[in-house]
Amino acid sequence: MASLSEEVLLVVKRVRQRKQDGTLYLMAERIAWGPEGKDRFTVSHLYADIRCQKISPDGKAKIQLQLVLHTGESTTFHFANESTALKDRDATKELLQQLLPKFKKKANKELEEKNRMLQEDPVLFQLYKDLVVSQVISAEEFWANRLSLNSVEHSLSNNNKQEVGISAAFLADIRPQTDGCNGLRYNLTTDIIESIFRTYPTVKQKYAENVPHNMTEKEFWTRFFQSHYFHRDRINTGLQDIFSECAKEDEKGLKSMVTQGVKNPMVDLLSLEDKTLDEGYGTATVPTTSNSSNKSLRENSNSAIIKRFNHHSAMVSKAYTPLDILTSLFVAFQVKLQEAIEYDDLQGDSGRKTISLNLKKSDRYSHGPIPLQSQHYSTSQDIINSISIIQHEMRSYKPRLTQVMSSSAASSAITALSPGGVLMQGGGQQTINQLVPTDVQSELKHLYTAAGELLRHFWSCFPVSTPFLEEKVVKMKSNLEKFQVMKLRPFQEKIQRQYLSTSVRPQNIFWGGNAGIWQNGKCSKK
Amino acid sequence: MKLNIDGLLVCFPYDYIYPEQYSYMLELKRTLDAKGHGVLEMPSGTGKTISLLSLIVAYQKAYPLEVTKLIYCSRTVPEIEKVVEELKKLMDYYTKQTEAKNDFLALALSSRKNLCIHPEVSSLRFGKEVDGKCHSLTASYIRAQHHCNPSQPVCQFYEEFDAVGRQVLIPPGIYNLNDLKDFGRRKGWCPYFLARSSILHANIVVYSYNYLLDPKIADLVSKELAKKSVVVFDEAHNIDNVCIDSMSVNITRRTLDRCQTNVETLQNTISRIKETDAAKLQEEYRRLVEGLTEANVARETDMYLSNPVLPDEILQEAVPGSIRTAEHFVGFMKRFLEYLKARLRIHHVVQESTPQFLKDIYEKVCIDRKPLRFCAERLRSLLRTLEIADIADFSAITLISHFATLVSTYNKGFTIIIEPFEDRTPTIANPVLHFSCMDPSIAIKPVFGRFQSVIITSGTLSPLDIYPRILDFRPVTVASFTMTLARTCLCPLIVGRGNDQVAMTSKFETREDFAVIRNYGNLLLEMSAIVPDGIVAFFTSYIYMENIVASWYEQGILENIQRNKLIFIETQDAAETSMALMLNKNKISANGVRNIILIKCKRLFISFSFQPPVHHYGRAVIVFGVPYVYTQSRILKARLEYLRDQFQIRENDFLTFDAMRHAAQCVGRAIRGKTDYGLMIFADKRYARADKRGKLPRWIQEHLTDGSLNLTIDETVQLGKHFLRQMAQPFRQEDQLGLSLLTLEQLQSEDMLQKIAQIAQA
Repeated sequence: MASLSEEVLLVVKRVRQRKQDGTLYLMAERIAWGPEGKDRFTVSHLYADIRCQKISPDGKAKIQLQLVLHTGESTTFHFANESTALKDRDATKELLQQLLPKFKKKANKELEEKNRMLQEDPVLFQLYKDLVVSQVISAEEFWANRLSLNSVEHSLSNNNKQEVGISAAFLADIRPQTDGCNGLRYNLTTDIIESIFRTYPTVKQKYAENVPHNMTEKEFWTRFFQSHYFHRDRINTGLQDIFSECAKEDEKGLKSMVTQGVKNPMVDLLSLEDKTLDEGYGTATVPTTSNSSNKSLRENSNSAIIKRFNHHSAMVSKAYTPLDILTSLFVAFQVKLQEAIEYDDLQGDSGRKTISLNLKKSDRYSHGPIPLQSQHYSTSQDIINSISIIQHEMRSYKPRLTQVMSSSAASSAITALSPGGVLMQGGGQQTINQLVPTDVQSELKHLYTAAGELLRHFWSCFPVSTPFLEEKVVKMKSNLEKFQVMKLRPFQEKIQRQYLSTSVRPQNIFWGGNAGIWQNGKCSKK
Repeated sequence: MKLNIDGLLVCFPYDYIYPEQYSYMLELKRTLDAKGHGVLEMPSGTGKTISLLSLIVAYQKAYPLEVTKLIYCSRTVPEIEKVVEELKKLMDYYTKQTEAKNDFLALALSSRKNLCIHPEVSSLRFGKEVDGKCHSLTASYIRAQHHCNPSQPVCQFYEEFDAVGRQVLIPPGIYNLNDLKDFGRRKGWCPYFLARSSILHANIVVYSYNYLLDPKIADLVSKELAKKSVVVFDEAHNIDNVCIDSMSVNITRRTLDRCQTNVETLQNTISRIKETDAAKLQEEYRRLVEGLTEANVARETDMYLSNPVLPDEILQEAVPGSIRTAEHFVGFMKRFLEYLKARLRIHHVVQESTPQFLKDIYEKVCIDRKPLRFCAERLRSLLRTLEIADIADFSAITLISHFATLVSTYNKGFTIIIEPFEDRTPTIANPVLHFSCMDPSIAIKPVFGRFQSVIITSGTLSPLDIYPRILDFRPVTVASFTMTLARTCLCPLIVGRGNDQVAMTSKFETREDFAVIRNYGNLLLEMSAIVPDGIVAFFTSYIYMENIVASWYEQGILENIQRNKLIFIETQDAAETSMALMLNKNKISANGVRNIILIKCKRLFISFSFQPPVHHYGRAVIVFGVPYVYTQSRILKARLEYLRDQFQIRENDFLTFDAMRHAAQCVGRAIRGKTDYGLMIFADKRYARADKRGKLPRWIQEHLTDGSLNLTIDETVQLGKHFLRQMAQPFRQEDQLGLSLLTLEQLQSEDMLQKIAQIAQA
């Protein structure tokens, strides 16, 4: 058994799959299940193939775990060991939770990329169907050429890939649902949890401290949502709240940010005023009320809300602000000043660098908002006036026939231009549009592109410099032949059966010509 | 391009020009020719500054004897830097055109905090600390002590400057704050004092309002500036408040307590000195008898103790005998202090005029008017004599002495209000004496009187006639310029109702109404969904904003807004707010994402007046409510009364004027230039009234059609969507050319000149 050499991370006994008892193995790269008493796996999934895992709700009698694959299939495991079923399941779940994300990133990127390309490019998709699904060439061969085409662009986009920011509304998106008996249910996904951790690093710290030593994950989040920290506006309930420290930490963080000072002098409100009035001068009343003692409870909670929102927004925006920009701000002050005084439209040759639009889906762009007509509606009076003017002009209209060509010349021109005329010789092929039904036309088109694709693969092997390439040439040749047999022939026969006409010949000739060139090329090589 | 403005050759550093810029320069030229004052309103983003600078510089070059100096006053440090930057651009163009070496000296002046290069002093963060520390290193007696006792620390930069730099003229060029610092570092001279001495012979000086308007500073810094100067107040829409602030004093119980300790320290120092060095006091006495108030030699470094406003005649007179000796003066101050303490011990609000106050003080503690007037001057002399090192400690007694001098100098235009508690917290005793200036013309009068031309300009000065009235001057030109536009790039909308037809207003009676708050929330929510970039939302007051934000939170509106945009809410803490702004800015520069809503309070915004940051993400500006001032304030009431009696301005007119200039100021930020575009949403049904609407600047009013008044939220969204979609279409220079952008040839054509003549309207 090949799997013996693999590292087994977890073994769970008495797991049922399709009503059959067996053992579940979690290994370094895959999850496998074998029926009891047999030494082979009937179920084996690479972690990379697994999209997600689902577990049965807590109250249910059957304790199950479902794995959903990228292909859409799913496998359900039923933990049947009565006493430890729940524990087993949770252990499996936890382990999977740790393992899956690792593989997910690696495997799916490629898959997703392929998927995306196919979705975005209908021509490619058709090609894929024609060549791969009909098994003219294998999927690997198909992609081998494709992906490398994009690799330059791909690597570029990989290098300065933007880090994904946090949605500003992620907290708003955690909508509690009432479960009917005075309880609230929050649905957390890994994304949300990550967002919370990135926005509130103190919570992450708390999580690391407390989970799983002091409390379970669930308990932790329950407490989080109950806490004053989450609902900033509520009055602090007491010291046992583990998150009360977080608030203090945040405050400290904010303070330290403030005391560091603002590097950008354009927005430093403290240094805006050149010469502030000394204390005691001026009409503005001294803000004596700012000390918290005589602030009402309500005002306090109000300012807490404001603080919370600002902190939240600051953290969210900080999450995707690269640090070097923070430091380079001061240097840029001079540039900013320049920018501030510049009037680009007054400048003569505004050599402004424009960023070219890089469209992935051009049709989406071109079907955008339609420019509205100008708003100068004509009044009805205008319309009436213009109609009367036109009428007036028409009344006095006399065709100036002297400048029109003679009728004989005109009729000869018309005959020359009508079908069969002098100028319309050789226009017979036009009728192909009318002769051939659209489905045949589209089939023809598909065949044409497929053939082109195959030929592209074929010609890309030349010059044949390595044995690998030579092997590929041979393979491509057989592919081409296969294509001819499987696709072209039937099509040709079909056409010939239906329309015994010359209309398909050009295509045929084209193909024959290509084949001839290829034969020549091959001969010269051999 | 080179322009011919009414016979004057003006170099304009761009290839194209806006018609209104040309018109602006024409008006400006007329004002300078007439040697009079002017009020000019031109929309923000149409290149006011560069037009001003080009014309005045050209004027200076053409008639060097008529206009010797340009004094350009702006409000904030970044603004000052911006002006200098534009000036640099202009001068570069000049040198390129004429190929002659630039002989212009232009420099920016700012407080010590922005100019200090002393390693220890400049590391301090607050302006006051820097000033105090600088003073303790450069005061004349410190330096004298250093002379006999070298271990006494002094600032080597100042010493170096005093020894060498004073005689050497700074080479011509354009210096912003950093350039000055660099120059100072290179030479080892103090940039601050270098700048202060250089402004006397500089051709262009750029500094903030206070150096001209605040008598405490103006007396020191701007005293010797030539009469033939042109003074420009840019962003002058708030100039009356700056004037008033510089002349008003608030005294709390805390001030008095600190003053008490100051007096005690003074007393102790005097008695100590008397034992050791009685001759010093004797010398001071002799000087005071002779009427030499101050030996002017070392005065520039002792700036803390300058006099608020002393009419010239006082300087000629001798200090009255009753406060001439040090002990007598301290006793006098003590008496005055006790009197003030007694006045603060009241349980009801008192409002009185200055003559009433003087009469009362004479009856109660026998303090005459004359010695009071000399209070500030006498204290300065005493502090100098006693060689007090850290002057910042004595700010309380300085404040009191300033108050004494002011109260005894002016009969009119001031009021004294003593409030035992704040209106909101009637149970907590917190007595404050407000000595409040009601007449902005007092502070600005010397400026109008002394300089030959004063230009007041801003994007929002409407209605234009009110400024000459409240500042009490007679301008030769009053003009408002519109913005010529190739496309309607601003879209003012007045939202009066919610979708449920409930009127939206921040009127006091209904502002806490649930429906109003909800409708406001819905408006912001809907707008956040359709506006592609940032939104700036303004509220009328901080407390109102807090309340609204809280109830939005409770109703879940904020959560929904968060789905569309990030929210930043201004706090009362300036440092926190600027932090938030900085994070925002980063985000913008990093990702080009501008999905932010800034929620701000109107009044705070005004007091900080930050123009630059708002620029970049104001695709839509929403003003919630009409930003009236807190009308129950007694100071305001007194001022309104005064305005009515003295200038025949009705209370309501002034209040509306004030509210509308703030509103216009807010929405004016939406447009940065002609290529920019922005939505301006006034969310209050009261804006639709003619008296409010009519007070908006002309360039906004023009685009306010009858169809955009009193809309519902839905209608607003529709109009806004339509507008934004249209504006998002590409806009090229060719579209503007000939309409709102002119080449030199187009400018010279006959009918264009006729069109331009119509742009300016008085």
